[in-house]
Amino acid sequence: MKNATVIHITGLMLLLISVFFSLSFGSVTTSLIDVWHAVSAPSSSDLLNRIVMDLRLPRVLLALLAGVGLAITGHTLQTVTRNSLADPYLFGISSGASFGAVIFTILASSVGVSASIAASLGITAFAFVGAAASVFLVLILAGVHQQLQVERMLLSGVAISFMFSAFSSLLLYFAQPQAAASVLFWGLGSFTQASWDMMLWPTLVVSASILVLRLVQPWINALQLGDETAQTLGVPVQKLRLGVLLVCSLITAVLVANCGGIGFVGLMIPHLVRMLFQSNSLLLSGLFGGIFMVWVDVLARIALPSQELPVGIITTALGSVFFIGIMSKKNKN
Amino acid sequence: MPETSVKVSKLSWSPNNSFALEGINFELQTGKVLGVIGPNGSGKSSVLRCLYGYIKGWSGSIKLFDKPITEYSALEVATKVAVVQQDTPSNIHLTVEQLVELGLTPHRPLLSLQRPSRVPVLEAISKVGLADKSHQDFHTLSGGEKQRALIARALVQQPDLLILDEPTNHLDVRYQIQLLQIIKNLSISVVISIHDLNLASAFCDQLLLLNAGKVVAYDEPEHVLTQSNISSVFGVNCQVQPHPKVAKPHIQYCYELPTHFERKVKA
Repeated sequence: MKNATVIHITGLMLLLISVFFSLSFGSVTTSLIDVWHAVSAPSSSDLLNRIVMDLRLPRVLLALLAGVGLAITGHTLQTVTRNSLADPYLFGISSGASFGAVIFTILASSVGVSASIAASLGITAFAFVGAAASVFLVLILAGVHQQLQVERMLLSGVAISFMFSAFSSLLLYFAQPQAAASVLFWGLGSFTQASWDMMLWPTLVVSASILVLRLVQPWINALQLGDETAQTLGVPVQKLRLGVLLVCSLITAVLVANCGGIGFVGLMIPHLVRMLFQSNSLLLSGLFGGIFMVWVDVLARIALPSQELPVGIITTALGSVFFIGIMSKKNKN
Repeated sequence: MPETSVKVSKLSWSPNNSFALEGINFELQTGKVLGVIGPNGSGKSSVLRCLYGYIKGWSGSIKLFDKPITEYSALEVATKVAVVQQDTPSNIHLTVEQLVELGLTPHRPLLSLQRPSRVPVLEAISKVGLADKSHQDFHTLSGGEKQRALIARALVQQPDLLILDEPTNHLDVRYQIQLLQIIKNLSISVVISIHDLNLASAFCDQLLLLNAGKVVAYDEPEHVLTQSNISSVFGVNCQVQPHPKVAKPHIQYCYELPTHFERKVKA
């Protein structure tokens, strides 16, 4: 990749511009000048100002964090498993996280826990336990002490994914209709619940994970040469893979808990970045994941006149078109 | 630097009922090239894997630079021994420079955001003749260029011992000779497993001939590459003569199997 620094800085600028522009979209008409006024005087009590700062900004930031988090998770999973099809969904991490979140939601609705910081922490913790459980199950099924066999790991991931999906469906089948409906809507992915109160955990987890993954990046890159060669470079392969999978579980869990199911981003963005920039940069995947999700959220807000589209529907639709495009391009070549 | 880089005594390893290494003995003088030869499945890769600490559970003794390998940590081995394996995954998304930089991994402080110096990386790339391709993606290189990039990665590791498992596989004759010239000119201790017996003869100071997990011969090429050794181990008829240009044995195959081997194949 040439001019790596220039591409990274351009990506960062595009991300900031995207965030600024996206604040002007929504059911209430807001010009870019209104947005500028709101951002430059954040504490003003003006109505437009409050809409931008209290409703739209947390939502845009949550979308940004989700895009960054899912893209770096997909990028990392694809590198440590040497499989360009790996993403949190294929590995069962998302299904495990969803199962944990569904258990918490149904329990919380039966005891009457309402939205609060404690509830946000609770759902994140349950989602993480579910995600981590699926990682351990996948590793056990794939043979954790053996050399990584990519096919075994993928098949295990698919099996675990279906298993947790079935458990979630079973719980929903027996749940109260109201709880089931809210879980179903949440499962389609949405940033409508975003508020400043719920930003703490996604911000902390995604930022800390980027730092950790960046620090172990040379080791992760060494895994591309194969487990045995990585070991001859002094990399503790099994421990590294387990640690990285747990970090990916944590990101997925916090995002599933706060935004629901958003598919294809982790799979699509690293592919897109490799295709456009011939780059395998973690940070670049993160930046473009953020830009992508900010604009997907804008589309979710403006696509229908009187209601919002769940973002999961948009990302899945775009993802499938993207992969059909790649396939037909490869066929032509 | 000790005089002996590798000393292996009575090395035995039995992973299953169908294969075992039995009583392997050899040593490698510092700065020399040892070729490990033998038919498919004779145990060449297994011996190499024992040397770089990948295979565990063997018995006997392996000393690297006069110290038992069991007393080294994995990271210590990585700072002394560089390995280039037979097969490399095809989907590596790194440029040549990024790939070669991975050789610095054992020397980098853990959890450092600081990028290491590019000087040794660029030197190694230039040493293997890939200076004009350092920004090119690894997966776009030809087979010969890929192998040279992997050798450069191993050189950046600053090893005292280089272990190469069939590095000339899949290369045309020009790249085979070029690669082995590069390795020979490094002037460090090298253990290399190799299929082409004439190349082994030309480039190795000593040869270890294995068959079914046992040492058949261990000596200089002219004493190992004899007509009878080749016929009994590989099951081919040949004539061994001194090479007209270099003072090494040269093998000319007769392209017919010996009668006892034909009977074995038919059976």
